[in-house]
Amino acid sequence: MTNAFAIHATGLVKNFGGKRVVDGVDVAVPRGAIYGVLGPNGAGKTTTLRMLLGIIEPDGGHRTLLGHTHPRDASDRVGYLPEERGLYPGMRARDAIAFMGALRGLDLKAGRKRAVTLMEGAGLGHAADTRIRKLSKGMAQFVQLLGSVVHQPELLVLDEPFSGLDPVNQERLETLILAERDRGATIVMSTHVMAHAERLCDRLTIIAGGRHRFEGTVAEARGLLPMRAHYVPDRDEPGLAAYLPDGAVHQRDGWHFPVPDGGVEAALRRLIDGGHGIAGLSIERPGLHDAFVRIVGASALDATQEISA
Amino acid sequence: MSVRSNRIVRQTLTIARRDFVATVFTPTFLLFLLSPIIMLSFGLVGAGGATSMATNAADKAQIVAIVAPERQAAMRATDARLRKLFGRSDQPPVLTFETPGTTPATQARAVFAGAGPDTTAALYGDLAAPTILYGAQGRGDSRYLAELSEGTLRAAASGARPLSAATFTPIARERASSGGHSQAAFFSVFGIFFLSLLLSGQAVGTMAEERNNKVIEILAAAVPLEAVFFGKLLGMFGSAVLFVGFWGTLASQLTAILPASMAGGLGEIGPAIGLPLFVPLFFAYFAMAYMLLGAVFLGVGAQATTPRELQMLSLPITIVQVLMFSLALRAAGGADNWVTRFAEIFPFSSPFAMAAHAANFPHVWPHLLALAWQALWVGIAITIGARAFRRGVLQSGSGSWFKRRVATVGEALSGTPTP
Ligand SMILES: Nc1ncnc2c1ncn2[C@@H]1O[C@H](COP(=O)(O)OP(=O)(O)OP(=O)(O)O)[C@@H](O)[C@H]1O
Ligand SMILES: [Mg+2]
Repeated sequence: MTNAFAIHATGLVKNFGGKRVVDGVDVAVPRGAIYGVLGPNGAGKTTTLRMLLGIIEPDGGHRTLLGHTHPRDASDRVGYLPEERGLYPGMRARDAIAFMGALRGLDLKAGRKRAVTLMEGAGLGHAADTRIRKLSKGMAQFVQLLGSVVHQPELLVLDEPFSGLDPVNQERLETLILAERDRGATIVMSTHVMAHAERLCDRLTIIAGGRHRFEGTVAEARGLLPMRAHYVPDRDEPGLAAYLPDGAVHQRDGWHFPVPDGGVEAALRRLIDGGHGIAGLSIERPGLHDAFVRIVGASALDATQEISA
Repeated sequence: MSVRSNRIVRQTLTIARRDFVATVFTPTFLLFLLSPIIMLSFGLVGAGGATSMATNAADKAQIVAIVAPERQAAMRATDARLRKLFGRSDQPPVLTFETPGTTPATQARAVFAGAGPDTTAALYGDLAAPTILYGAQGRGDSRYLAELSEGTLRAAASGARPLSAATFTPIARERASSGGHSQAAFFSVFGIFFLSLLLSGQAVGTMAEERNNKVIEILAAAVPLEAVFFGKLLGMFGSAVLFVGFWGTLASQLTAILPASMAGGLGEIGPAIGLPLFVPLFFAYFAMAYMLLGAVFLGVGAQATTPRELQMLSLPITIVQVLMFSLALRAAGGADNWVTRFAEIFPFSSPFAMAAHAANFPHVWPHLLALAWQALWVGIAITIGARAFRRGVLQSGSGSWFKRRVATVGEALSGTPTP
């Protein structure tokens, strides 16, 4: 079972100074997937990733990383971009990438050579010999990212990789992540930006308040919320709500309501029988954003019940 | 070697190499390398000041002999002969003569009050039973005047011609004198102290650097913190070896350059255990002292978040270190008492005191014992230090500084070992 998963962890627990910060989180990352770890600020994402990588030890639970129970035994096959970025300011970009590779078992000379290729690939070839302190923040962050893939890891863990990047560099990063996946790597990333998760992730887990709230595909997460209908009447009249299903709200662009179990047909029939015209009607899947808000919001209301797909 | 330990060695070396390169190829390192010259020149300026003050004082002093003119020539010849017994720096003050007047006793007292050079001692009366007056600083000079009158009378009795003719030949000792042992012991203690303090100070500096850079999490993710820790110590140790190598080579060349008489003096400074054994022992003890101190500094340094905190925290360690140093210096005298034993056994003074032991005594076995004992403590210090380091370095939570530190140290001491 563990071999099908790059990461498999159950019931992870971490306390800091008597406060339980992570409380029974499960993570199962299939090999070859792009896996998102989502959650609000302070949810325990970084702490969870650090436990998975063996940077800190969990106070409870069980984990395997690329089949090893000691995460460090797999350290040469893992790449990691920490949330707090950092490089030696005096190093040249090329050497910084090679140094990070060397920590993971890549020969320094080979690392320098690959670093140049990688930088050229990312459109940063001109900065290969520039010292880190002279690079912009975003460029330095990209250099660090390249340093985490230079040894061609089987598993790439990225903590908030998109933060601090401009749209062009975010695009570059998406390309790089997809290229890594195509190379065969498994990718785990935490993020706040739903759009990235929605576009990139095959599966995701949502944690809030240190607890596991959801695990499944993006489609499953979105499936937690009913479809929503958007109805535009041909003329706006008061009392229209009486014809619409429960929960209908009036907004500037028309009426919005959750699609009831039997579909929208019954409501439409009522409208037509009542003499109300239909200028527009669309049925939409709610986005990951709404699903996230719903899951996290629900967890705030009911901290004990887990929402599962 | 297993795959795991192979990897840890490799990672440790990667970190050591980075630190070594980052330390050595900087202008600061040059300053560090030349720091002994700076210290030496300060020392020389200080010593120069002191001697010049002393010489000036001697120039301004005199001893006075109130004797009949016909005795004065013989007395001056005796003075010239007796002065050969004194080194350049401890010559008696200049001898001046006065012809006795009607009341020599009053005359002698007057000399002390007179203007001009200070009189430290004055002699009057019959040379067979002279009266010698002396001032606060003149006790030695008064004895000299007594010897002068005795010598003058003897020369008059036996004739001025020398009765013997001596031949002087300087020789260099084959083996170090026991005074030389103590000196070697002193130099060892001082050398180890100076080096380890300087270097672990640097280690703390790089620690602060690492925290500011936030590189530490990259390191911690790839490498066990113990290896990061050890790599840093090793990198710093590399620069220390460069330092010792540089000055060691200079010092060994120094004996060749110096005039034979001075080189002979240096040759007397030597360890009782013999140089071929002493050199590796010195290195081993230096390594132990350095690792112990470095582990403490790194562990404590990791708790600081700002350079200010860092300074605050390193001060007490430095004070303890100076205490250890003075303890080891007492032991360097080679006395066989409980202070020495204590200094040799107490982990943090043991490397210093045992280096001194090697200089003072020829036995080999206590060193094997001591090295094993110290290695145990280095292990303990590194383990505790690395734990404190782990807690301190990866902390991002809030709370009061003090509460966090207390919790950190508590956790470090009670924490479970990590794989
Ligand atoms: N070393 C630490 N010591 C004490 N508390 C900590 C430590 N690390 C994290 N915490 C606390 O644990 C909680 C979870 O932190 P964590 O950094 O894992 O959250 P996160 O989900 O990554 O948040 P963000 O989205 O803001 O990055 C926070 O309340 C934080 O203050
Ligand atoms: Mg985080």
